[in-house]
Amino acid sequence: MASSRKTIYLDNAATTFPKPPGVLEEMIEVYSNLGVSPGRGSYDLSMEAEERVMDIRRQVCQFFGGSDPERVIFSYNATDALNTLIQGLIRPDFRVVSSRLEHNSVLRPLHYFSQQGIIRLDLIPFGSEGFIDPMAVSEAIRPDTSFVILTHASNVLGTVQPVERIGEICRERGVPLLLDVTQTAGRLPIRMEEWGVSAVAFTGHKSLLGPTGIGGLVLSPRLDVEATRFGGTGRDSLSLDHTRVYPQRLEAGTINVAGIFGLSAGLRCTSSRGMENIYSKEIGLARRLHHGLNSIKGVRVYPAILNDAPWVPIMLCNMEGMDPEDLASILDGDFGIAARAGLHCAPLVHEDLGTSPKGGVRFSLGPFNTDEDIDQVLEAMDTISGSK
Amino acid sequence: MERTAPTAAVRQELGERVRLIAGREITFDGEGFFWDPHQWSEEAAAALAEEAGLKDVGEAHWTILQFLREYYFQNGRSPLNRQIKEGTGISLMEMEALFPGGIKYGARRLAGLPNPRNCI
Repeated sequence: MASSRKTIYLDNAATTFPKPPGVLEEMIEVYSNLGVSPGRGSYDLSMEAEERVMDIRRQVCQFFGGSDPERVIFSYNATDALNTLIQGLIRPDFRVVSSRLEHNSVLRPLHYFSQQGIIRLDLIPFGSEGFIDPMAVSEAIRPDTSFVILTHASNVLGTVQPVERIGEICRERGVPLLLDVTQTAGRLPIRMEEWGVSAVAFTGHKSLLGPTGIGGLVLSPRLDVEATRFGGTGRDSLSLDHTRVYPQRLEAGTINVAGIFGLSAGLRCTSSRGMENIYSKEIGLARRLHHGLNSIKGVRVYPAILNDAPWVPIMLCNMEGMDPEDLASILDGDFGIAARAGLHCAPLVHEDLGTSPKGGVRFSLGPFNTDEDIDQVLEAMDTISGSK
Repeated sequence: MERTAPTAAVRQELGERVRLIAGREITFDGEGFFWDPHQWSEEAAAALAEEAGLKDVGEAHWTILQFLREYYFQNGRSPLNRQIKEGTGISLMEMEALFPGGIKYGARRLAGLPNPRNCI
Protein backbone atom coordinates (compact mmCIF):
# COMPACT_ATOMS: atom_id res chain seq x y z
CA MET A 1 0.00 0.00 0.00
CA ALA A 2 1.26 3.47 -0.85
CA SER A 3 2.44 5.69 1.96
CA SER A 4 -0.02 8.35 3.11
CA ARG A 5 2.64 10.68 4.53
CA LYS A 6 3.52 13.78 2.53
CA THR A 7 6.67 13.29 0.51
CA ILE A 8 8.71 16.07 -0.99
CA TYR A 9 9.41 14.48 -4.33
CA LEU A 10 12.72 15.47 -5.90
CA ASP A 11 13.30 12.64 -8.35
CA ASN A 12 11.65 14.25 -11.36
CA ALA A 13 14.62 13.43 -13.59
CA ALA A 14 13.59 9.79 -13.17
CA THR A 15 9.90 10.48 -13.71
CA THR A 16 7.64 13.39 -12.88
CA PHE A 17 5.33 12.68 -9.98
CA PRO A 18 2.50 13.20 -9.50
CA LYS A 19 1.02 13.75 -12.94
CA PRO A 20 -1.00 16.93 -13.39
CA PRO A 21 -4.70 16.69 -12.67
CA GLY A 22 -6.59 15.67 -15.79
CA VAL A 23 -3.82 13.92 -17.72
CA LEU A 24 -4.49 10.38 -16.54
CA GLU A 25 -8.26 11.00 -16.52
CA GLU A 26 -8.16 12.15 -20.15
CA MET A 27 -6.02 9.15 -21.09
CA ILE A 28 -8.48 6.73 -19.51
CA GLU A 29 -11.49 8.46 -21.04
CA VAL A 30 -10.09 8.46 -24.58
CA TYR A 31 -8.81 4.91 -24.20
CA SER A 32 -12.22 3.78 -22.92
CA ASN A 33 -13.79 5.08 -26.13
CA LEU A 34 -11.08 4.42 -28.70
CA GLY A 35 -8.90 1.69 -27.22
CA VAL A 36 -8.89 -0.55 -30.29
CA SER A 37 -6.05 -1.54 -32.60
CA PRO A 38 -5.52 1.60 -34.68
CA GLY A 39 -5.53 1.23 -38.45
CA ARG A 40 -5.60 -2.54 -38.37
CA GLY A 41 -9.25 -3.02 -39.30
CA SER A 42 -11.65 -1.42 -41.72
CA TYR A 43 -14.32 -0.87 -39.08
CA ASP A 44 -15.06 2.72 -38.06
CA LEU A 45 -13.62 2.53 -34.57
CA SER A 46 -10.25 1.33 -35.85
CA MET A 47 -10.18 4.08 -38.47
CA GLU A 48 -11.09 6.68 -35.86
CA ALA A 49 -8.39 5.44 -33.52
CA GLU A 50 -5.85 5.60 -36.37
CA GLU A 51 -6.94 9.14 -37.16
CA ARG A 52 -6.51 10.10 -33.51
CA VAL A 53 -3.04 8.53 -33.36
CA MET A 54 -2.09 10.36 -36.57
CA ASP A 55 -3.24 13.63 -35.02
CA ILE A 56 -0.96 12.91 -32.07
CA ARG A 57 1.95 12.21 -34.44
CA ARG A 58 1.33 15.69 -35.86
CA GLN A 59 1.20 17.14 -32.35
CA VAL A 60 4.52 15.46 -31.42
CA CYS A 61 6.15 16.43 -34.72
CA GLN A 62 5.21 20.06 -34.26
CA PHE A 63 6.32 20.03 -30.63
CA PHE A 64 9.84 18.94 -31.56
CA GLY A 65 10.11 21.05 -34.71
CA GLY A 66 10.11 18.04 -37.03
CA SER A 67 8.89 18.15 -40.60
CA ASP A 68 7.11 14.85 -41.28
CA PRO A 69 4.50 13.41 -38.86
CA GLU A 70 4.84 10.00 -40.51
CA ARG A 71 8.38 9.95 -39.17
CA VAL A 72 7.17 10.14 -35.59
CA ILE A 73 7.79 6.66 -34.22
CA PHE A 74 6.30 5.54 -30.92
CA SER A 75 8.31 3.40 -28.53
CA TYR A 76 8.12 2.31 -24.89
CA ASN A 77 10.52 4.91 -23.55
CA ALA A 78 13.67 6.80 -24.53
CA THR A 79 15.92 3.76 -24.04
CA ASP A 80 13.75 1.78 -26.42
CA ALA A 81 13.74 4.65 -28.92
CA LEU A 82 17.53 5.04 -28.70
CA ASN A 83 18.05 1.32 -29.23
CA THR A 84 15.77 1.41 -32.28
CA LEU A 85 17.76 4.33 -33.61
CA ILE A 86 21.28 3.10 -32.84
CA GLN A 87 20.70 -0.50 -33.91
CA GLY A 88 18.92 0.66 -37.05
CA LEU A 89 21.86 2.80 -38.10
CA ILE A 90 24.89 0.71 -37.12
CA ARG A 91 26.87 -0.93 -39.92
CA PRO A 92 30.20 -2.76 -39.69
CA ASP A 93 33.26 -0.50 -39.58
CA PHE A 94 31.25 2.57 -38.67
CA ARG A 95 32.76 5.19 -36.42
CA VAL A 96 30.44 6.87 -33.93
CA VAL A 97 31.00 10.02 -31.88
CA SER A 98 29.30 10.39 -28.51
CA SER A 99 30.25 11.84 -25.12
CA ARG A 100 31.14 10.93 -21.56
CA LEU A 101 28.02 12.78 -20.38
CA GLU A 102 25.69 10.13 -21.76
CA HIS A 103 23.20 7.94 -19.96
CA ASN A 104 23.58 4.17 -20.26
CA SER A 105 20.70 4.15 -22.75
CA VAL A 106 23.22 5.52 -25.25
CA LEU A 107 26.47 4.22 -23.77
CA ARG A 108 25.49 0.58 -23.40
CA PRO A 109 24.28 -0.07 -26.96
CA LEU A 110 27.35 1.74 -28.33
CA HIS A 111 29.68 -0.09 -25.93
CA TYR A 112 28.14 -3.40 -26.99
CA PHE A 113 28.79 -2.77 -30.68
CA SER A 114 32.24 -1.46 -29.91
CA GLN A 115 33.09 -4.56 -27.81
CA GLN A 116 31.86 -6.76 -30.65
CA GLY A 117 34.33 -5.01 -32.96
CA ILE A 118 31.52 -3.71 -35.14
CA ILE A 119 32.06 0.01 -34.60
CA ARG A 120 34.78 2.34 -33.35
CA LEU A 121 33.56 4.66 -30.65
CA ASP A 122 34.92 8.13 -29.89
CA LEU A 123 33.68 9.52 -26.57
CA ILE A 124 34.37 13.20 -26.13
CA PRO A 125 34.93 14.62 -22.64
CA PHE A 126 33.02 17.39 -20.92
CA GLY A 127 34.55 20.41 -19.21
CA SER A 128 34.70 21.12 -15.50
CA GLU A 129 31.38 22.99 -15.66
CA GLY A 130 29.60 20.11 -17.37
CA PHE A 131 29.56 21.20 -21.00
CA ILE A 132 30.80 19.61 -24.20
CA ASP A 133 32.95 21.87 -26.34
CA PRO A 134 31.53 21.99 -29.89
CA MET A 135 35.10 22.18 -31.21
CA ALA A 136 35.81 18.82 -29.54
CA VAL A 137 32.91 17.36 -31.52
CA SER A 138 34.33 18.89 -34.68
CA GLU A 139 37.76 17.41 -33.98
CA ALA A 140 36.29 13.99 -33.20
CA ILE A 141 34.43 13.77 -36.52
CA ARG A 142 36.51 11.86 -39.08
CA PRO A 143 35.82 10.92 -42.68
CA ASP A 144 34.37 7.57 -41.59
CA THR A 145 32.18 8.95 -38.76
CA SER A 146 28.65 7.83 -39.48
CA PHE A 147 26.78 9.79 -36.80
CA VAL A 148 27.10 11.87 -33.65
CA ILE A 149 24.79 11.03 -30.77
CA LEU A 150 24.55 13.28 -27.72
CA THR A 151 22.38 14.08 -24.77
CA HIS A 152 20.71 17.48 -24.84
CA ALA A 153 21.10 17.81 -21.05
CA SER A 154 23.01 15.72 -18.56
CA ASN A 155 20.75 13.67 -16.29
CA VAL A 156 23.29 14.13 -13.47
CA LEU A 157 24.30 17.79 -13.77
CA GLY A 158 21.41 19.29 -15.71
CA THR A 159 23.81 21.15 -17.98
CA VAL A 160 22.22 21.88 -21.37
CA GLN A 161 24.62 21.24 -24.20
CA PRO A 162 25.28 23.70 -27.05
CA VAL A 163 23.39 21.63 -29.60
CA GLU A 164 22.68 24.46 -31.98
CA ARG A 165 26.40 25.02 -32.55
CA ILE A 166 27.06 21.27 -32.65
CA GLY A 167 24.19 20.94 -35.15
CA GLU A 168 25.83 23.53 -37.39
CA ILE A 169 29.12 21.66 -37.25
CA CYS A 170 27.47 18.33 -38.03
CA ARG A 171 25.55 19.88 -40.91
CA GLU A 172 28.75 21.40 -42.34
CA ARG A 173 30.52 18.06 -42.05
CA GLY A 174 27.59 16.08 -43.46
CA VAL A 175 27.24 13.87 -40.36
CA PRO A 176 23.81 13.25 -38.80
CA LEU A 177 23.36 14.55 -35.24
CA LEU A 178 21.06 12.45 -33.06
CA LEU A 179 19.80 13.96 -29.83
CA ASP A 180 18.61 12.37 -26.60
CA VAL A 181 16.10 14.92 -25.28
CA THR A 182 14.97 12.90 -22.26
CA GLN A 183 15.73 15.68 -19.75
CA THR A 184 14.79 18.67 -21.87
CA ALA A 185 11.58 17.69 -23.69
CA GLY A 186 8.82 19.68 -22.01
CA ARG A 187 11.27 22.02 -20.31
CA LEU A 188 12.96 23.76 -23.20
CA PRO A 189 11.88 24.40 -26.79
CA ILE A 190 13.36 21.86 -29.22
CA ARG A 191 13.61 22.78 -32.91
CA MET A 192 15.21 19.79 -34.51
CA GLU A 193 15.08 20.82 -38.16
CA GLU A 194 16.18 24.37 -37.41
CA TRP A 195 19.11 23.08 -35.34
CA GLY A 196 20.22 20.55 -37.95
CA VAL A 197 19.29 17.58 -35.77
CA SER A 198 18.47 14.40 -37.71
CA ALA A 199 16.62 12.58 -34.93
CA VAL A 200 15.38 13.17 -31.41
CA ALA A 201 14.64 10.40 -28.92
CA PHE A 202 12.21 11.28 -26.13
CA THR A 203 10.26 9.76 -23.28
CA GLY A 204 6.72 10.71 -22.35
CA HIS A 205 6.79 10.30 -18.58
CA LYS A 206 9.25 12.98 -17.50
CA SER A 207 8.69 16.65 -18.27
CA LEU A 208 6.13 15.81 -20.95
CA LEU A 209 3.98 14.82 -17.96
CA GLY A 210 2.54 11.66 -19.53
CA PRO A 211 2.46 8.10 -18.21
CA THR A 212 5.33 5.61 -18.22
CA GLY A 213 5.53 3.17 -21.14
CA ILE A 214 5.49 5.70 -23.95
CA GLY A 215 8.29 7.49 -25.76
CA GLY A 216 9.47 7.82 -29.30
CA LEU A 217 11.61 9.13 -32.09
CA VAL A 218 11.15 12.00 -34.47
CA LEU A 219 13.20 11.48 -37.61
CA SER A 220 14.23 13.98 -40.20
CA PRO A 221 13.54 13.00 -43.83
CA ARG A 222 17.34 13.13 -44.28
CA LEU A 223 17.79 10.06 -42.08
CA ASP A 224 16.88 6.48 -42.89
CA VAL A 225 16.74 3.93 -40.07
CA GLU A 226 16.55 0.21 -40.80
CA ALA A 227 14.10 -1.98 -38.88
CA THR A 228 15.64 -4.24 -36.27
CA ARG A 229 12.36 -5.75 -35.08
CA PHE A 230 9.85 -7.30 -37.40
CA GLY A 231 6.24 -8.33 -37.25
CA GLY A 232 2.70 -7.22 -37.79
CA THR A 233 2.18 -3.66 -38.98
CA GLY A 234 -1.28 -3.69 -40.53
CA ARG A 235 0.32 -3.10 -43.95
CA ASP A 236 1.26 -5.45 -46.80
CA SER A 237 0.34 -8.52 -44.78
CA LEU A 238 0.71 -10.77 -47.82
CA SER A 239 4.44 -10.14 -47.91
CA LEU A 240 6.87 -11.77 -45.51
CA ASP A 241 9.08 -8.71 -45.82
CA HIS A 242 8.58 -6.15 -43.11
CA THR A 243 7.24 -2.87 -44.48
CA ARG A 244 9.72 -0.10 -45.28
CA VAL A 245 7.05 2.56 -44.88
CA TYR A 246 7.29 4.88 -41.86
CA PRO A 247 6.17 4.89 -39.12
CA GLN A 248 5.31 1.17 -39.24
CA ARG A 249 8.85 0.31 -40.40
CA LEU A 250 9.99 0.94 -36.84
CA GLU A 251 6.78 0.04 -35.01
CA ALA A 252 6.34 -3.74 -35.13
CA GLY A 253 3.25 -4.94 -33.27
CA THR A 254 0.39 -3.05 -31.69
CA ILE A 255 1.45 0.33 -30.36
CA ASN A 256 0.78 1.54 -26.82
CA VAL A 257 -2.48 3.30 -27.61
CA ALA A 258 -3.30 4.22 -24.00
CA GLY A 259 0.20 5.63 -23.55
CA ILE A 260 -0.07 7.64 -26.76
CA PHE A 261 -3.33 9.21 -25.58
CA GLY A 262 -1.66 9.95 -22.24
CA LEU A 263 1.34 11.50 -23.99
CA SER A 264 -0.99 13.73 -25.98
CA ALA A 265 -2.76 14.86 -22.80
CA GLY A 266 0.60 15.54 -21.17
CA LEU A 267 1.82 17.55 -24.14
CA ARG A 268 -1.35 19.61 -24.12
CA CYS A 269 -0.99 20.18 -20.40
CA THR A 270 2.62 21.33 -20.88
CA SER A 271 1.53 23.74 -23.59
CA SER A 272 -1.46 25.09 -21.69
CA ARG A 273 0.57 25.70 -18.53
CA GLY A 274 3.22 27.27 -20.72
CA MET A 275 6.58 25.54 -20.98
CA GLU A 276 8.34 28.82 -20.24
CA ASN A 277 6.27 29.34 -17.07
CA ILE A 278 6.96 25.81 -15.83
CA TYR A 279 10.66 26.16 -16.60
CA SER A 280 11.11 29.55 -15.01
CA LYS A 281 9.39 28.41 -11.80
CA GLU A 282 11.42 25.19 -11.63
CA ILE A 283 14.71 26.88 -12.39
CA GLY A 284 14.09 29.64 -9.85
CA LEU A 285 13.57 27.04 -7.12
CA ALA A 286 16.55 25.01 -8.33
CA ARG A 287 18.86 28.01 -8.22
CA ARG A 288 17.74 28.72 -4.67
CA LEU A 289 18.37 25.10 -3.70
CA HIS A 290 21.76 25.12 -5.40
CA HIS A 291 22.77 28.32 -3.65
CA GLY A 292 21.53 27.04 -0.27
CA LEU A 293 23.29 23.68 -0.57
CA ASN A 294 26.51 25.41 -1.52
CA SER A 295 26.44 27.33 1.74
CA ILE A 296 26.02 24.26 3.99
CA LYS A 297 29.18 23.05 5.65
CA GLY A 298 30.50 19.77 4.27
CA VAL A 299 28.17 19.76 1.25
CA ARG A 300 29.61 19.66 -2.23
CA VAL A 301 27.33 20.47 -5.15
CA TYR A 302 27.75 19.62 -8.83
CA PRO A 303 27.79 21.60 -11.02
CA ALA A 304 29.71 23.77 -8.58
CA ILE A 305 29.01 27.03 -10.37
CA LEU A 306 25.90 27.92 -12.32
CA ASN A 307 26.52 31.35 -13.81
CA ASP A 308 23.99 31.97 -16.57
CA ALA A 309 24.76 28.76 -18.41
CA PRO A 310 21.74 26.87 -19.77
CA TRP A 311 20.58 24.40 -17.18
CA VAL A 312 17.62 22.22 -16.29
CA PRO A 313 16.76 21.82 -12.59
CA ILE A 314 18.98 18.84 -11.78
CA MET A 315 21.95 18.84 -9.40
CA LEU A 316 24.12 16.37 -7.60
CA CYS A 317 25.46 16.70 -4.09
CA ASN A 318 27.51 14.86 -1.53
CA MET A 319 28.01 15.34 2.18
CA GLU A 320 31.47 14.93 3.57
CA GLY A 321 31.91 11.68 5.50
CA MET A 322 28.57 10.20 4.51
CA ASP A 323 27.67 7.50 2.03
CA PRO A 324 25.24 8.99 -0.55
CA GLU A 325 22.84 6.07 -0.09
CA ASP A 326 22.74 6.80 3.64
CA LEU A 327 22.17 10.48 3.01
CA ALA A 328 19.23 9.61 0.73
CA SER A 329 17.87 7.17 3.37
CA ILE A 330 18.05 9.84 6.09
CA LEU A 331 16.38 12.42 3.85
CA ASP A 332 13.61 9.93 3.13
CA GLY A 333 13.15 8.24 6.51
CA ASP A 334 13.64 11.24 8.78
CA PHE A 335 12.48 14.12 6.60
CA GLY A 336 10.14 12.66 3.94
CA ILE A 337 12.32 13.84 1.06
CA ALA A 338 12.62 11.52 -1.94
CA ALA A 339 15.90 12.01 -3.81
CA ARG A 340 17.95 9.56 -5.82
CA ALA A 341 21.35 8.30 -4.66
CA GLY A 342 23.91 6.50 -6.80
CA LEU A 343 25.27 6.76 -10.30
CA HIS A 344 22.03 7.61 -12.10
CA CYS A 345 22.88 5.23 -14.97
CA ALA A 346 25.59 7.66 -16.11
CA PRO A 347 28.80 6.01 -14.86
CA LEU A 348 31.25 8.04 -16.92
CA VAL A 349 29.92 11.35 -15.60
CA HIS A 350 30.62 10.20 -12.05
CA GLU A 351 33.99 8.81 -13.05
CA ASP A 352 34.99 12.22 -14.41
CA LEU A 353 33.52 14.15 -11.48
CA GLY A 354 35.44 11.92 -9.08
CA THR A 355 32.22 10.69 -7.44
CA SER A 356 32.46 7.10 -8.67
CA PRO A 357 31.76 4.38 -7.54
CA LYS A 358 29.23 5.54 -4.96
CA GLY A 359 27.96 8.55 -6.87
CA GLY A 360 25.98 11.20 -5.07
CA VAL A 361 22.48 12.34 -4.20
CA ARG A 362 20.60 13.91 -7.08
CA PHE A 363 17.90 16.49 -6.57
CA SER A 364 15.70 17.03 -9.60
CA LEU A 365 12.77 19.39 -9.47
CA GLY A 366 9.42 19.21 -11.15
CA PRO A 367 6.33 21.30 -11.80
CA PHE A 368 4.83 20.68 -8.36
CA ASN A 369 7.75 21.68 -6.17
CA THR A 370 7.30 24.76 -4.03
CA ASP A 371 9.33 27.28 -2.06
CA GLU A 372 8.37 25.41 1.11
CA ASP A 373 9.86 22.21 -0.33
CA ILE A 374 13.17 23.96 -0.87
CA ASP A 375 13.09 25.45 2.65
CA GLN A 376 12.54 21.98 4.09
CA VAL A 377 15.28 20.35 2.03
CA LEU A 378 17.78 23.01 3.04
CA GLU A 379 16.74 22.73 6.68
CA ALA A 380 17.09 18.94 6.54
CA MET A 381 20.50 19.11 4.88
CA ASP A 382 21.63 21.68 7.43
CA THR A 383 20.45 19.46 10.30
CA ILE A 384 22.20 16.41 8.85
CA SER A 385 25.37 18.38 8.28
CA GLY A 386 25.21 19.66 11.87
CA SER A 387 25.01 16.09 13.17
CA LYS A 388 28.35 15.15 11.61
CA MET B 1 8.83 -15.21 1.81
CA GLU B 2 12.59 -14.95 1.33
CA ARG B 3 14.07 -13.88 -1.94
CA THR B 4 15.26 -16.45 -4.47
CA ALA B 5 18.85 -17.58 -4.08
CA PRO B 6 21.16 -16.06 -6.69
CA THR B 7 22.48 -18.31 -9.44
CA ALA B 8 26.13 -19.40 -9.50
CA ALA B 9 26.86 -16.90 -12.29
CA VAL B 10 25.37 -14.04 -10.30
CA ARG B 11 27.27 -15.07 -7.16
CA GLN B 12 30.51 -15.13 -9.12
CA GLU B 13 29.80 -11.70 -10.65
CA LEU B 14 29.08 -10.26 -7.22
CA GLY B 15 32.38 -11.50 -5.84
CA GLU B 16 31.32 -14.27 -3.49
CA ARG B 17 33.89 -15.16 -0.83
CA VAL B 18 33.95 -17.38 2.25
CA ARG B 19 35.46 -16.20 5.56
CA LEU B 20 35.87 -17.73 9.01
CA ILE B 21 34.04 -15.48 11.49
CA ALA B 22 33.55 -16.34 15.16
CA GLY B 23 34.50 -19.95 14.41
CA ARG B 24 32.06 -20.43 11.54
CA GLU B 25 32.43 -20.27 7.78
CA ILE B 26 30.28 -17.49 6.36
CA THR B 27 29.74 -16.61 2.70
CA PHE B 28 29.80 -12.91 1.83
CA ASP B 29 29.36 -10.97 -1.37
CA GLY B 30 32.02 -8.60 -2.68
CA GLU B 31 30.68 -5.76 -0.51
CA GLY B 32 30.74 -7.82 2.68
CA PHE B 33 27.03 -8.63 2.88
CA PHE B 34 25.87 -12.10 3.97
CA TRP B 35 24.68 -14.35 1.14
CA ASP B 36 22.58 -16.38 3.53
CA PRO B 37 20.94 -14.55 6.44
CA HIS B 38 20.69 -17.87 8.29
CA GLN B 39 24.48 -17.92 8.68
CA TRP B 40 24.22 -14.90 10.98
CA SER B 41 24.74 -15.13 14.73
CA GLU B 42 25.18 -12.52 17.45
CA GLU B 43 28.78 -13.67 17.82
CA ALA B 44 29.40 -13.14 14.10
CA ALA B 45 27.78 -9.69 14.25
CA ALA B 46 29.93 -8.73 17.24
CA ALA B 47 33.10 -9.98 15.51
CA LEU B 48 32.26 -8.10 12.30
CA ALA B 49 31.42 -4.98 14.32
CA GLU B 50 34.79 -5.10 16.03
CA GLU B 51 36.46 -5.56 12.68
CA ALA B 52 34.68 -2.38 11.52
CA GLY B 53 35.88 -0.47 14.56
CA LEU B 54 32.85 -0.86 16.83
CA LYS B 55 34.18 -2.41 20.02
CA ASP B 56 31.04 -2.22 22.15
CA VAL B 57 27.83 -3.28 20.50
CA GLY B 58 25.35 -1.55 22.78
CA GLU B 59 21.61 -1.77 23.38
CA ALA B 60 20.72 0.66 20.59
CA HIS B 61 22.81 -1.35 18.13
CA TRP B 62 21.11 -4.63 19.09
CA THR B 63 17.66 -3.00 18.92
CA ILE B 64 18.35 -1.99 15.34
CA LEU B 65 19.96 -5.29 14.28
CA GLN B 66 17.18 -7.34 15.82
CA PHE B 67 14.48 -5.18 14.28
CA LEU B 68 16.05 -5.46 10.82
CA ARG B 69 16.27 -9.24 11.11
CA GLU B 70 12.80 -9.76 12.55
CA TYR B 71 11.24 -7.56 9.90
CA TYR B 72 13.13 -9.37 7.15
CA PHE B 73 12.08 -12.84 8.25
CA GLN B 74 8.46 -11.77 8.76
CA ASN B 75 8.12 -9.86 5.49
CA GLY B 76 10.70 -11.35 3.14
CA ARG B 77 12.31 -7.98 2.56
CA SER B 78 14.17 -5.30 4.44
CA PRO B 79 12.06 -2.58 6.06
CA LEU B 80 11.49 0.75 4.33
CA ASN B 81 13.32 3.78 5.69
CA ARG B 82 10.33 5.09 7.60
CA GLN B 83 9.56 1.61 8.97
CA ILE B 84 13.03 1.39 10.50
CA LYS B 85 12.45 4.67 12.30
CA GLU B 86 8.95 3.68 13.43
CA GLY B 87 10.01 0.19 14.45
CA THR B 88 13.10 1.11 16.44
CA GLY B 89 12.26 4.59 17.66
CA ILE B 90 15.70 5.58 16.43
CA SER B 91 16.12 8.09 13.64
CA LEU B 92 18.05 7.20 10.50
CA MET B 93 20.43 10.03 11.29
CA GLU B 94 21.21 8.52 14.72
CA MET B 95 21.55 5.10 13.16
CA GLU B 96 24.05 6.41 10.62
CA ALA B 97 26.13 7.80 13.47
CA LEU B 98 25.86 4.64 15.60
CA PHE B 99 27.44 2.26 13.09
CA PRO B 100 30.85 2.60 11.50
CA GLY B 101 30.03 2.45 7.80
CA GLY B 102 26.63 4.05 8.40
CA ILE B 103 23.23 2.60 7.58
CA LYS B 104 23.84 0.43 4.56
CA TYR B 105 27.43 -0.70 5.06
CA GLY B 106 27.13 -0.64 8.85
CA ALA B 107 23.72 -1.56 10.23
CA ARG B 108 22.24 -3.44 7.28
CA ARG B 109 25.48 -5.37 6.72
CA LEU B 110 25.90 -6.33 10.38
CA ALA B 111 22.29 -7.48 10.51
CA GLY B 112 23.33 -10.23 8.12
CA LEU B 113 20.73 -9.43 5.51
CA PRO B 114 21.43 -9.72 1.78
CA ASN B 115 22.83 -6.71 -0.02
CA PRO B 116 20.03 -4.24 -0.78
CA ARG B 117 21.23 -3.72 -4.33
CA ASN B 118 19.30 -0.73 -5.49
CA CYS B 119 19.81 0.24 -9.06
CA ILE B 120 22.42 2.93 -8.76
